[in-house]
Amino acid sequence: MSETTLLQRARGVRQSNGWIFATMLASALISLTASFVLSVDALILAADPQAALSCNINAVLSCGTVANSWQASLFGFPNAFLGLVAEPVVITIAVASLGGVRFPRWFMLSAQVVYTLGVIFAYWLFFQAYFVIGALCPWCLLVTLSTTLVFTSLTHVNIRDGNLYLPEPASRAAQTFIAHDLDLLVVAVWLMGIVTLVGVKYLPLML
Amino acid sequence: MSSKNSTTSNPGRREALRRQQAARAAAEHRMKIFSRTAWIAGITLIAVMVGVIGWSVVGAKSNQNAGISAGGSAVPPNATSAGALSFGEADAKVTLTVYADFMCPYCGQFERVNGEAIDSLVSDGTVKLEIHPMSFLDAQSNGSQYSTRAANAFVTIAAADQTAALAFNQLLFANQPSEGSSGLTDAQLADFATQAGASPEVVAKIADLSYTGWIDELTQQAFNSGITGTPTVKINGETFTGDVYNRGPLEEAIAQAAGGE
Repeated sequence: MSETTLLQRARGVRQSNGWIFATMLASALISLTASFVLSVDALILAADPQAALSCNINAVLSCGTVANSWQASLFGFPNAFLGLVAEPVVITIAVASLGGVRFPRWFMLSAQVVYTLGVIFAYWLFFQAYFVIGALCPWCLLVTLSTTLVFTSLTHVNIRDGNLYLPEPASRAAQTFIAHDLDLLVVAVWLMGIVTLVGVKYLPLML
Repeated sequence: MSSKNSTTSNPGRREALRRQQAARAAAEHRMKIFSRTAWIAGITLIAVMVGVIGWSVVGAKSNQNAGISAGGSAVPPNATSAGALSFGEADAKVTLTVYADFMCPYCGQFERVNGEAIDSLVSDGTVKLEIHPMSFLDAQSNGSQYSTRAANAFVTIAAADQTAALAFNQLLFANQPSEGSSGLTDAQLADFATQAGASPEVVAKIADLSYTGWIDELTQQAFNSGITGTPTVKINGETFTGDVYNRGPLEEAIAQAAGGE
């Protein structure tokens, strides 16, 4: 009996502002840190191409070929700069929301649209690195993981609060979906899929 | 309130309300079943994926045990005590030391830019070339251990024919497989060996994998001696820090070292 109530309470917490925005904040901080590290690496690389142009003994996952690929600066500057620009906005939204601020619907919808583009870009990069470049970088994987969590928490709150201007039946269906924690299930399966992809290819190589 | 309402409304409306409530309850019930099914399926899927990861790790481990580690531990006749293969005149003015891995993309860039110049400096007696064929990027070839296989082929040829070995070295970097691919096959390695001028007997010896143990050892030895990555290039024992990816600087430094003595 107490187990049921515990589970119910946990599910209640998961739907609360505190949990959702704390997840968003933590993920955005991780993503910002990773973007910062990658940006600094990119600057070092630009200043002294020799520095990074070697296969280092510690480079378990790659020889730095990811950083030197054209995909790594698709828009003419290192992709990581985008994280430096976008993540502080997410952090601000998360902190303000934790403090009780409610943003207008149009604002949250804009955040959703922009971040969706960001997460699509993150996954495009992941698949390029995995299938085309054939090398992964640990910090890039961390970005993939944390942007996924920011995206899902943002989507969660926007569906819950009806910020997406969805037609009524779709909105209600999405809210039911979230009320049953099925979004959590989808994220868990999705992330496990990514972990499996990476694990199957790289774990055997690290033995 | 609601009981008062229901008693005052007519039976038709009450019936409609009851029907509506029943429909809602049924929908709720269906959703509950759907949700439970989805959770069971999802958790099963996650368990399967955990299994796949475990299976791939176990599979790779047994593969590894059955694979190259069964190779020999012969020491090549032209090896130096530092774990290098020596090419050219023993008393040349300049000793050029190169630490490279056949899978390392930057070693490929280095060789494609400087390989020819180095080879001609070796053949005219200016340079004694010491190559450390390392294998630490074995993990980057889908389990085919390309670094070790390529290095073993190179060492096998060098033990018999230095000119062919240097040609083979250049051929492998000119046709370098990309990092993370399975690398060249054993048959392709044999073809390049023949193309480089190795005799059929030597080419046949490559498959014996006689030198894998020695390559493993020299790789450790190199890292223990302070090498942190590849390519590392040394001129007379001192690490060359100039640009090795454009033609010119390395040759100039070699000329300086040759003239300075």
